Amino acid sequence: MASINLPEQQKKGESDMDAIVKVTNLKKYYGNGEALVKALDGVDLEIERGKFTAIVGTSGSGKSTLLNMLGGLDVPSEGSVRIGNQELARLTAEQATIFRRKQIGFIFQNYNLVPVLTVWENIIFPISLDARKPDRKFIMEIVNLLGLESKLDSFPNQLSGGQQQRVAIARALATKPSIILADEPTGNLDSRTSDGVISLLRVTSEQFHQTIVMITHNPEIAAHADRVVHIEDGRIVADAS
Amino acid sequence: MLANNNLKICHRLMWREFRFHKGCSILLVTALTLVSMLCTFSFAIGFMVRSGLKYSYQIQYGSTSHILYYGLNSVQAASVARHADVKETVRLKVLGLLSDDMLGYRNVKLAVADDGWAAATEAVPVSGRMPEADDEIAMDELTLQSLAIPRKEGAKVQLRWTPVDGGEERVDTFYLCGWWKSPMGYTETCAWVTPNAAGRLCPDAPDYLDLGVTLYRPRNLDRQAQEILREQGADKVPYTTNLAYNRARRQRMNEKAFPFYLMNIAVVVCGILMVYNIVRISTVQNARFYGRVKSLGMSPRQIGRFIVVQAAYLCLPAIPAGWLSGFVLYMVTAPYVLLGTGGEHPAFLFLNPAPFACSALLTWFTAFTACLLPARLVSGSRPAEAMKYTGLSAAIPAEDRSGAKKRRCRVPFMALYGIRRDKKKAVFAAASMCLSMTLLCGFWTQYISTDEEKYMREIAYCDYLIADASTANSLQRYNPASHSVTPELIEEIAGQKAVTAIGTVRTMEIPMYADEAGRAPIVESFEGENEEGVVRKAYMSGSPDWVSGYEKFRTTGEYIGIASGIDGLAESVILSEGEYVEGVYDAERFAAGNYVIAAGASETSFVSTPPIGSSVEIGGRQFKIMAAVSYKGHIITGADSREAAFNVSYYMPVQVFEELFPECGIRNVLVNIDHNSQKEFEEFLSKKIRDTGIAVKMRSDYQWEFGNALFHNYVIPIFVGAVLFLIGILNFANALVTGVLIRKKEMAVYESLGMTQLQLRRLLVGEGLMYGGMMTAFLVPAVSLMTWLWTGWWAVYSASAWCVTWKYSLLPMWIALPVLLVLVMVIPLGCLHMIRKESVTQRLQIVE
Ligand SMILES: Nc1ncnc2c1ncn2[C@@H]1O[C@H](COP(=O)(O)OP(=O)(O)OP(=O)(O)O)[C@@H](O)[C@H]1O
Ligand SMILES: [Mg+2]
Repeated sequence: MASINLPEQQKKGESDMDAIVKVTNLKKYYGNGEALVKALDGVDLEIERGKFTAIVGTSGSGKSTLLNMLGGLDVPSEGSVRIGNQELARLTAEQATIFRRKQIGFIFQNYNLVPVLTVWENIIFPISLDARKPDRKFIMEIVNLLGLESKLDSFPNQLSGGQQQRVAIARALATKPSIILADEPTGNLDSRTSDGVISLLRVTSEQFHQTIVMITHNPEIAAHADRVVHIEDGRIVADAS
Repeated sequence: MLANNNLKICHRLMWREFRFHKGCSILLVTALTLVSMLCTFSFAIGFMVRSGLKYSYQIQYGSTSHILYYGLNSVQAASVARHADVKETVRLKVLGLLSDDMLGYRNVKLAVADDGWAAATEAVPVSGRMPEADDEIAMDELTLQSLAIPRKEGAKVQLRWTPVDGGEERVDTFYLCGWWKSPMGYTETCAWVTPNAAGRLCPDAPDYLDLGVTLYRPRNLDRQAQEILREQGADKVPYTTNLAYNRARRQRMNEKAFPFYLMNIAVVVCGILMVYNIVRISTVQNARFYGRVKSLGMSPRQIGRFIVVQAAYLCLPAIPAGWLSGFVLYMVTAPYVLLGTGGEHPAFLFLNPAPFACSALLTWFTAFTACLLPARLVSGSRPAEAMKYTGLSAAIPAEDRSGAKKRRCRVPFMALYGIRRDKKKAVFAAASMCLSMTLLCGFWTQYISTDEEKYMREIAYCDYLIADASTANSLQRYNPASHSVTPELIEEIAGQKAVTAIGTVRTMEIPMYADEAGRAPIVESFEGENEEGVVRKAYMSGSPDWVSGYEKFRTTGEYIGIASGIDGLAESVILSEGEYVEGVYDAERFAAGNYVIAAGASETSFVSTPPIGSSVEIGGRQFKIMAAVSYKGHIITGADSREAAFNVSYYMPVQVFEELFPECGIRNVLVNIDHNSQKEFEEFLSKKIRDTGIAVKMRSDYQWEFGNALFHNYVIPIFVGAVLFLIGILNFANALVTGVLIRKKEMAVYESLGMTQLQLRRLLVGEGLMYGGMMTAFLVPAVSLMTWLWTGWWAVYSASAWCVTWKYSLLPMWIALPVLLVLVMVIPLGCLHMIRKESVTQRLQIVE
């Protein structure tokens, strides 16, 4: 397997203000002719390490598309995505997958937990895929922070939505990824629970120096972010720190 | 309003489901087509076997009418025809009987042309037509052959015949206008002339006719025939009833057809299992589907309609396709199953709409049941539960919880969860597989266990059995005056180098009498019960001639004895190698000529002959019975007279027989040859017997018959078993395919979390192997045991046990299992390849 250039998080000398994500002229078109949809139409974006970035925009503006590009779940029609030193377009599908499980944590709106695994197994699932030993101490820290201690042996369908989302967060954090990508993580939750989840995300990002990119419709949540990127019609229309 | 149910929406929903799951729908229709095909096929074959047997009984009887009354006057005939139970009647005005010696024992009646009667006895001219002019006549081919009349319209026919009213034998001249050939005319047929000709030939013929009666509901024909007569006040009229409606024979017909009908049960069960599995796609998805539509307010009635519509859509293409393919299959196999239909294709001869109707019904039933099941599954649960249904919720076994405590990741064991989730499906797949595999292994074991050696030993006593011309057909009565087999011919055959043994059989029917003591053992053996507790006499209820002969014997002691002179090979086959129930065979004393060997129906402890040591008078000479041997009917061809249906055979040396009956010919010749020169001998023999009417049954004929019986009995069931197995495999494959396809999203989640393709593959192959392993662990012992029990029982107790050497074999399973194991690995991988064509993001967006 070809070697992969991993962004070296711990490398001394590099400042925290480095751009961990660098997107240039990113375009994603669906269909063609009359039915052509420009989901992304020339996006340039840099995201700094350790920052909490929110992406906002109306429905259908291309937020999810952008996030999927960042996570290497989809390939762009044009342009490039660079995470750390790695140009994603250069990776084969297989390499992209391995890159993803080592470097990127996903949090989905509908959680996407594995129903046949317990909470604990779900959390360590990406680590097991990598055949690594889970850092038990670190993960228990996350678990305690998220208040999941008593639920570790439960199965996902025995949890509430908020609990499931917390498991998804724990799963995303467990691999110590370079970047966490969250697509409307609170979309299914009531405002109090979402507040809880968001503040947990903030706290964990600060505590573990995590870079987080999150899509949200909620202006209040966006207000918590270090930076808000506004997308309309596949273009960045506003970018406020 | 509560009753306001929009049923149209059901159709739309159905149609969308159909289109969205196109592959699944095609699979479903294919499955139902298979069911429809197999049902059509096995019903059609069953019906054909039944009709074929019925037809052969009718041939034996000579008519399709239920009852034949003889010698009614026209007033009586008219009133019988008006009887409430009588559906239709056909009439025959007989002028006389043809009395040419060349006709032997065949009964050919000179009669007034009657289309109805002709149709009922298959005596309708196929070439030419019925007579129209006064000097025209229509006859059957067999009679034409016997009388050496060319088959040509206008050929001159000179007939010798005797009027029924007892007049002098006379000779008249006609011209041939039509002829036919029909197996129904072997024993009795007509020669047709016009009514005018009848008036000219017998100007003062009495009012005297035969009446064939067809009833609305034939049940106990004898009783019905008598009732009809009693109501006319004419119970002295002689009548006969059709053998095909005899109770015992009807039972035999049903018994023959039954296995074919039985196969349908297996077909339907496997079919339901398969369709069910496909329809359900998965417990999870369907429960969610029904949960969702229920929560949206679909009423039970709408759901019911939905299911009916679903089944109807599926059956619409499946049933006709099944009919067609089933019929083709039936057409191809029919000639092997039913023999001797005289050139006509048996598939068309006995074509009947019933199999198609039955098949349509069963296919519909299969589709409906299978569509209903998934809906029933969630019918009890509330929509909320149904929607959340993951197939896991109900019971997570305790051991899993404890396992989870250890907090190891069990990704390699995730495979197990996949199976547990589809437990029911796995059970169904295993059940249908087990059923079809048992059928296959069972019939296969039966096939290889049927022993040709044993069969030949029981059936064929010699390499060649030469039959007198009058006995070429098994329904033809032997004519001792036929002399077609001459002593010269026998000498010539014996002179062949290839011949290693030769022997002859001569027979003569003679009226005999037995006193009380002579009758006793015979009556005792027939009135007694056999091992199964059935009175032996009951076995013979299928042949009324036997019953009346036996009753006459029991009450008066009068019966027909068949004196039989045997020598050479026949002597050694019948006597030296015979099974003696009583007495011992002493060849020297037998040759001296004062003893006979009696032969009758026998069982281990009984033989139906007069007692050993008693005297019988044959041809005016006294003989002592030396021993009782069991009767070997296969050596003697043709039929005896109807009066001799109940008889006792007495064997004596040929020299003695010839002294008693010097005018009697040779009925059969048995020949054994050196098998190396089989070809030359057969050439010689066929040249010798050409144009003599002599028939030869060869060893190879017996072998062919054996192969055919084997084919009939086992190849078709094996074929059906194979198709069922195919259904089982499809079922299984389908379970595997859907097992992966419904987890499209799950796979996408895994991928998004960083599971590589290799890991995905390993997961699926692991699942597959585990599935296959569990299947094997269940199938091998289950199929072995079931096959063992079934065939073990069959080898000892079945009707064909006499030609069986049990060879237990599970070969079909050993062939099938590797196929299974390959499938469980290949199919999931193929599916994975398919679903990976869709991007991860697309799959993640799937709404469940
Ligand atoms: N597979 C696809 N094929 C065609 N068009 C697509 C596909 N995926 C997304 N689109 C289109 O691309 C555009 C952007 O979609 P995207 O999912 O990124 O929107 P979004 O900003 O996430 O919206 P929302 O806030 O509603 O989730 C939309 O117009 C959508 O219709
Ligand atoms: Mg979106």
